[in-house]
Amino acid sequence: MVQASNRPIIEVRGVDKHFGNFQALNDVTATFYEGQVTAIIGPSGSGKSTFLRTLNRLEKHDNGSIVVDGITLDDDLRHLDAIRREVGMVFQSFNLFSHLSILKNVSLAPMRVRKMTRVEAEARALTLLDRVGLKDQAHKYPVQLSGGQQQRVAIARALAMDPKVLLFDEPTSALDPEMVNEVLAVMRELAHTGITMLVVTHEMGFAREVADRLIFFDLGVILEDTTPESFFLNPNHDRAKAFLSQVKHGY
Amino acid sequence: MNWTRQHPAWVMFGSMVGLLLFLWGMAIPLSFAPAPIGPVAHLFADGARATVMLTLIAGSIGVVLGVLAGLGKLSKFLPLRWLCDFYVWLMRGTPLLLQILFVWLTLPQILPDSIQVSDFACAAIALALNIGAYNTECVRAGILAVPHGQVEAARALGLSPFQTFMDVVLPQSMRVALPALANNMASLVKDSSLAYAISVVELTMVGYRVQAESYQPLPVFLTIAVIYLILTTAFTTLTAALESQLDVGRKRAE
Repeated sequence: MVQASNRPIIEVRGVDKHFGNFQALNDVTATFYEGQVTAIIGPSGSGKSTFLRTLNRLEKHDNGSIVVDGITLDDDLRHLDAIRREVGMVFQSFNLFSHLSILKNVSLAPMRVRKMTRVEAEARALTLLDRVGLKDQAHKYPVQLSGGQQQRVAIARALAMDPKVLLFDEPTSALDPEMVNEVLAVMRELAHTGITMLVVTHEMGFAREVADRLIFFDLGVILEDTTPESFFLNPNHDRAKAFLSQVKHGY
Repeated sequence: MNWTRQHPAWVMFGSMVGLLLFLWGMAIPLSFAPAPIGPVAHLFADGARATVMLTLIAGSIGVVLGVLAGLGKLSKFLPLRWLCDFYVWLMRGTPLLLQILFVWLTLPQILPDSIQVSDFACAAIALALNIGAYNTECVRAGILAVPHGQVEAARALGLSPFQTFMDVVLPQSMRVALPALANNMASLVKDSSLAYAISVVELTMVGYRVQAESYQPLPVFLTIAVIYLILTTAFTTLTAALESQLDVGRKRAE
């Protein structure tokens, strides 16, 4: 495995986020380093997805600062565009563009944002689709693919922008059990390439095996920030212990 | 029906060619018809062409107006929303005939004398404004039907709001809005007949004149009705095929 460097790529300081009266994030501070694979876990409504979505401003944070690759995430649209070019995202419900073929799904953003030619962008898309094992599906449409295949396309689509950071928002939660592994296999392969990954997940096996770092969220607060081994063997907080015992009972 | 669904591009091509052949060739078979139709067959052909031109011009402008006002109604900018609401309220709440007369009578007064507006242009403007208001609601519903995840995915990939709209939201919303837009377009073929009130020589006006000279309303208006039916059928076939074409990717592979 590629070791995480010491170069910070995302720096989050004192971030708050409210939805009406509900406080989703409460004074969250964390630094993520280049090449690091971080698993983010926690109960439903703990703020882990909200946290991920503030990092590319799908949710706007109320207080605190977020710096991605040296660029401050603020109301300046140029900053936002620059950050979104470097930060890819994979969603729980895939969100493939339903009116475009698989090939066009992957080649659209490089053509529009990176100003690649169609030939370049489609050649690159085919290479990436090959990498996730779906080159032969390039001319189909999203509805013609299984959930697992769609999510692999979504990963290829995010990779097509050549991002420095990939955010995964519960990438296997909407999948049938037999399709979870094909997606995890692609993510495992990615983790070895040295790309920075933040993965909100309920897959404890994946978190334990692939992640360098584990963050446990509860009630909008980072309760534990440690290595997967120490979290699974020896959690510090009662909430984490309760969560772990529930997860284990679930299997 | 199955064949037409599977080959929408051919159906679109076929109905367009059919429409053009009909518009440019109808005078030939019609001229063999007995009086009062045969001797003035070219008038019917001219009238049908005027009706189709009026429909296509007003229809195209109407779609653009519908998209702009539909977007405006969803805008966060309150005055813009008011303006678009007002436009739809005004055009849907007053008779089309009044709108046509209003444009025809007031536009020449408002515009400087150097700009001459033909009767045909006045009719096209009024019809476009009218159908645009009805299109607005269809487009708005179409845009609201696009799942928010599609926008999030596009924005997360770095597409600008404008690119997100043009590449993702608009094509998907059109898929939803198209049946209703097509419906409006088919109505426009018929509504364009109101242009006769400002002496635009379209199909209905031709029928009115021919029967007035021949005193034979029955064969004349039957012919006119058949021509309208052929035109509306061509338009609905065209839009149904366009719908199947855009629908690709939504239904599962057979």
